[in-house]
Amino acid sequence: MQRLAEIEVSDTELTAARAGDGAARRALFDRVAPGALAFIRRLVRHQAMAEDLLQDTLIAMYEHLKDFRGEAPFGVWVRSIAVSRCLMAFRSPWHRAREALDSWIEDGQAVSENRTAELIDLDRALARLAPVTRTVVWLYDVEGWTHEEIARAFERTVSFSKSQLARGHARLRNDLAAPMTASLGIPLGSEFDGH
Amino acid sequence: MDTDDTELVARLKRLDASGAAPAPAFDYDGMFERHAAAGERVRRQRALARGTASVLVVALVGVSVWRINKQTYVPPKVVDDVAAEVRGSPEPRIVRADTYLALAALEDRIASVDDALSVARSYSPRGAEVARLERTRAELVDSYAQVRYADLVSANY
Repeated sequence: MQRLAEIEVSDTELTAARAGDGAARRALFDRVAPGALAFIRRLVRHQAMAEDLLQDTLIAMYEHLKDFRGEAPFGVWVRSIAVSRCLMAFRSPWHRAREALDSWIEDGQAVSENRTAELIDLDRALARLAPVTRTVVWLYDVEGWTHEEIARAFERTVSFSKSQLARGHARLRNDLAAPMTASLGIPLGSEFDGH
Repeated sequence: MDTDDTELVARLKRLDASGAAPAPAFDYDGMFERHAAAGERVRRQRALARGTASVLVVALVGVSVWRINKQTYVPPKVVDDVAAEVRGSPEPRIVRADTYLALAALEDRIASVDDALSVARSYSPRGAEVARLERTRAELVDSYAQVRYADLVSANY
């Protein structure tokens, strides 16, 4: 599967999609949707919520197709829409309440067969981070955003981005250092062990 | 970035490369159907909220109007008594008014001390506050008697 940021769309396809050509718009959906869902799923724990955000992102993409100027790959533009939609969702009180309730429940993350146990542990540790911290870690470490770009997206300062990143790394290192229970993926000796 | 962070970033990138996200649960047409359904749901919720707010506003206005209509001005009893006595009195009104108003003021004061006394007794029947109020009441009753006597004497001259 192609990473979202690497997806490129030709001018011909774009022109046809902008003109409302059904086939071109369907083709655009097929090209972008899997990568966009994979990206959103990295930031959002719940599959249903990720699909709602994917829908919002793609609807916004179709509505603003005329605004895409082609200065960066098409996928990068869609990724910025997805990030803004996710951040809006994180600010919602409903989302915060849901995160608090589900903080100790492992979500049914689809696990690829070619993952090692090490990556499964990392995946679970990542899922246990707070949504904002997880987003900062993923955008900086994997997507290659700068602290300035992250600060702009969050409408916060560069220090905020740096401190979230440091906190996220510390938490991940701590979780990965602790031995995991096989079934729950909960670090032994953590606050989740019932003591 | 220290060595630990570099290793962590490398692992995150391996995780990203290994990931096969589940396919979206909807296709192109399904997405627009979901979007329309969500819009309809939001419209229904807003309509319900508007309806509830309207009912509440109407109810509040109704209750306010009912309360305003229910309240009619009742003149204080003391004012009525004083006015009646002044009207029925053979003496010149300008002379009698001072005495009657003083008596009415004393009656009011005694009544308020009685109220305070009943409250104070409910908390502490033998407390210092009760004693103080009883002394005050006695003084007021004494004053009331003196004014009443003066009034009777002046009426006989």
